[in-house]
Amino acid sequence: MASNSYKVPRNFQLLRELEEAEKGCGDGSISWGLLHADDMQLNCWSCLIIGPPGTNFENRVYTLILECGVNYPIEPPSAKFVTKIRMKEVNDQTGVVDLRLLHMQSRSNSSPYSINGVLQEIRNAMTSKENRKLSQPPEGSSF
Amino acid sequence: MAESSEDSGSKINIAVKTPKEKKDIEIGADASVKEFREAISKAFGAPVEQLCLIFAGKILKDEENLKQHGIKDGLTVHLVIKSANRSQEQAAERAQAAPTPSQANVSNTPFNLGSMGGLPGLGGLGMGSSNFMDMQQRMQRELMSNPELLQNMMNNPMVQSLMSNPEVMRQLITSNPQMRELMERNPEITHMLNNPELMRQTMQLTRNPAMMQELMRQQDRAMSNLESIPGGFGALQRMYQEIQEPMLNAAQSMGRGNPFAALSGQSQESSGTQQQGQENTDPLPNPWVPQSPGSTSIGTTGSTTTTTGTTAGNALGSNPVFNTPGMQSLMSQMTQNPQLMQNMLQAPYMQSMLQHLSANPELASQIMSQSPIFAGNPQLQEYTRQQLPIFLQQMQNPEVQNVMTNPRALQAIMQIQQGLQTLQAESPSLLPGMGLAGAVPPPMTIPGSTNSGTTGSSTVTTSTTSTTATTATSGTMPTTSPGAPANTATPSGGLPGQGGADPLGGFMAQMLGMMAQGQGGGADLNTAPEQRYASQLEQLAAMGFINREANIQALIATYGDVNDAIDRLLQQRGN
Repeated sequence: MASNSYKVPRNFQLLRELEEAEKGCGDGSISWGLLHADDMQLNCWSCLIIGPPGTNFENRVYTLILECGVNYPIEPPSAKFVTKIRMKEVNDQTGVVDLRLLHMQSRSNSSPYSINGVLQEIRNAMTSKENRKLSQPPEGSSF
Repeated sequence: MAESSEDSGSKINIAVKTPKEKKDIEIGADASVKEFREAISKAFGAPVEQLCLIFAGKILKDEENLKQHGIKDGLTVHLVIKSANRSQEQAAERAQAAPTPSQANVSNTPFNLGSMGGLPGLGGLGMGSSNFMDMQQRMQRELMSNPELLQNMMNNPMVQSLMSNPEVMRQLITSNPQMRELMERNPEITHMLNNPELMRQTMQLTRNPAMMQELMRQQDRAMSNLESIPGGFGALQRMYQEIQEPMLNAAQSMGRGNPFAALSGQSQESSGTQQQGQENTDPLPNPWVPQSPGSTSIGTTGSTTTTTGTTAGNALGSNPVFNTPGMQSLMSQMTQNPQLMQNMLQAPYMQSMLQHLSANPELASQIMSQSPIFAGNPQLQEYTRQQLPIFLQQMQNPEVQNVMTNPRALQAIMQIQQGLQTLQAESPSLLPGMGLAGAVPPPMTIPGSTNSGTTGSSTVTTSTTSTTATTATSGTMPTTSPGAPANTATPSGGLPGQGGADPLGGFMAQMLGMMAQGQGGGADLNTAPEQRYASQLEQLAAMGFINREANIQALIATYGDVNDAIDRLLQQRGN
């Protein structure tokens, strides 16, 4: 169908995601909003992930920053943890998330990225076998 | 929304959500986070220091205030209740929390069902205390966004036992004054509510979430099932009058269109994403969706029209119901399908509506001023206002109605209109210049010949009437104009009293001049949509909608309204 063959323009998608953020969609385990309220380009997003229960991440709140480039949502945003974390997909020195290591390949090529989706993927990765029992740095430290 | 405006101004409502529950907290708009946290602490019964508040990706700190974070009315703040001492208390808390989740959910529903446990007065169902419409709205929102909640609620043994007791259910319903009033006025509904079997079935249905979703998605089908219950159709019809109208208002004020369109849209969405169960998931055509062609059953149209009638009667012309997708679809269906119009005009409520309108010219003129067709045309508006009462009387003339209900006559009128358009397209300069001497006669004669019974003067009126009406609707304007009212409001051509061709000719001159203007503006139906909507297409492209084909589709569907087209494009994408 015709509707599948075009992409929602970047700013429309981001505005919608901003609205979703304020309306508080989801179960509250992830949250996002503009890093700077005056960011007219909607580039930098400050995000929170609450560690999934049953893992070493449980009950911790992780802050990370997502940057949506000009080619978003066709290209994924870049993601970087602010809160120190140990995960297979996260660079131990910089906190940068390697999105290629996430299970992004499961998504179909045509569907665009979303902040919500990326955050969910990261949170899902926290529950993976390799990550769930990794010993974590003390709470409150940051990269 | 309504609730916020009712507040004293500085108070705002913020939804606070934990993974388990959600509560609305009312607080001053300029409150500090500390105050907010204290309010939440009270509401959730957790110590202040264990609350972690999150809004839009940031943790709220005590020294900040709500304004800094842009937390406004209706927005949602996430709440994480931390355990004070991680290892032991966490387990304790979980143990404590475990037995209660369903109850927590229940107490959280707008029904306030939690408070029913052991509460003797079932009137305390929240129905007595809070505004029913508001509750309904919230209920809808809440349940739609969270099917699990409903399931939880329904699986609660307390609720189950309650539901299985028809007596209690009835009491519950009758304890609500609005509901009672409704029942008093509508014996059919009472009958329905008094049928324990029906009630129980409905309740059973709601316990199965997949089924519930299915139900919502196919609500039109469900409605038709209802019809097969004796007396059900009557009840249904009244339900439209009594329930859909306020619901439409509510939904409209929420920035939505037709609640049913929204419902089905939403459930289609959800069936796409979290499809569950083995029920049929193919979306059904929804008769209320704007662009559905003239395939709607008469019953549906009937009820939609009824809504119009009563709305016009009760809520005056300011009512947004005329801009609802339902009305729009009715409108476009009407232009596509003369048959439909015929049915409509024959319907008794149509006549009562016309009577209503004529008895209350004020109302009619109000409706008229709402119509976008008139918005840009003060002159036409003024003229129509003067002629309106007479026209309305005309409409009640059985002979006029006769013409309107005669398909051949209508067809003839359509032809004339098409002819005029062709003429207009072929030689745009001709019509206005001619002063219509040539253009007017055909509409007068043709209907007359198909309808020998009608008097000359009234035939004339009708023909102009319908011609102008169809011009207005099938012409260049977006069809957001109210269906029936547009018809009633637009024309009011020649008057039988004045009879002669002069006032009529004048009016026709005006009308055709208008037409010439509109079509001269490059919006002729005959031009390709690419040309017609060139500027809109450019705008869309500039905004980043790069698929030209989809843009054109959207523009055609929205009659060139860029904003609507964008909504449409985004919606398509979202599904």
